[in-house]
Amino acid sequence: MAVSGFKNRIEKNLAPSLIIRLSEVDAPMRLAARAKRARGQRGSVELFFAFDDASSAYALITLAELVNQRDVDLIARPVVNRGIPDDPAVDRKRSYAIDDAVRLFARGGTELVRRTPIDPEATAWLAQWVADAPQSAALTDFTVEAVRLLWLTDGQQPDRERFERLWREKLGGSPPAAGDGLASNEQRMARLRMYETPAAWVTGRWFFAHERVAQIGEWLDRLGWEER
Amino acid sequence: MSSETIEFFFSFRSPYSYLAAPRAFQLPENYEVDIRFRGVMPMAMRGQSVPSQKRIHTMFDTKREANRLGMPFGPVFDPIGDGAVRCLRVSELAVDQQLEKQFVLAVSRAIWAEGVDVSTDEGLRPICIAAGLDWHACQQAISDPLIEARVPVFRFREQLLWGQDRIEDLERLLDAAGLRR
Repeated sequence: MAVSGFKNRIEKNLAPSLIIRLSEVDAPMRLAARAKRARGQRGSVELFFAFDDASSAYALITLAELVNQRDVDLIARPVVNRGIPDDPAVDRKRSYAIDDAVRLFARGGTELVRRTPIDPEATAWLAQWVADAPQSAALTDFTVEAVRLLWLTDGQQPDRERFERLWREKLGGSPPAAGDGLASNEQRMARLRMYETPAAWVTGRWFFAHERVAQIGEWLDRLGWEER
Repeated sequence: MSSETIEFFFSFRSPYSYLAAPRAFQLPENYEVDIRFRGVMPMAMRGQSVPSQKRIHTMFDTKREANRLGMPFGPVFDPIGDGAVRCLRVSELAVDQQLEKQFVLAVSRAIWAEGVDVSTDEGLRPICIAAGLDWHACQQAISDPLIEARVPVFRFREQLLWGQDRIEDLERLLDAAGLRR
């Protein structure tokens, strides 16, 4: 009885309270950021996102604007498979994400044009292109523009030729052949203990990116990557 | 009594519900609306699995949000199980007596910022009394049977808004409906 009472106290009181205390320890991350700057390196915001997810569209576009004024790179890591296994509310969440993104974009005066969910398989090829290409500012630029086309320009079915033209315009040449980029992104996301998109990893902390843009900015400030 | 109502879906096991509650109950001060409190059973008690990474992330994220809102967070005492059920049953009584604001704010603060074990009479009793409830009536309510959704959720007209960080969007809808006082 005493043992189960103590176990109960650890699970319900001591462990979660300890996690809350640990969440405020940030000295190692600030030191790592300082060391990175001393080596002349830039900061990074790694965004795990899905082209078919309206919340991801908002996160990608707003984070691109956030890092623009800082010595920070936005690393776009598309995924297709994500979420809590056997989640019974997947379809409702997909639909809700659109209603929510309409309101999030409206905060900045932007209209979300697409009002119907996209099947993840309908943009899986786009995710594969980005996942299998080397990281670069041009790739991030392509990714942001592709998301704008998908969500802010029209509600049409994703047209592969249109995105191939955009690829040639931004990066030149043809999109890469399928490799292991997507699987690698999904594995990294799982290793970082993130389970849903859009999730941003910023020097030791992760955030649900669409609803924590200001907090990501504050964390970058704290790490010393302030606006120029 | 206003003609418009916002339904506020709340779980005593949700730290985000705790963060939302003070601002949710404040809405009728600023808008021509009533808040209808709807207590719901925690996800984990409705057979839905909650991954450990979600539980840990929620603690980190809630602490950041609590700091931004100037609210205390931690030490906590997870009310899952008897604690959540007891709070839900007392909240029904509190609604009947129009004391839900007082009870919900007090008990959620006790759970999420003071580490009070509300599954015990010793933990719950002083909170009920401080909220203006009669403890014997609370004990009767606790022994009564009960009560779904992700929380906190607000429903206004046909729109659902999920999250303590969507109150600003709810306020925008209320403004657009011409309900600001």
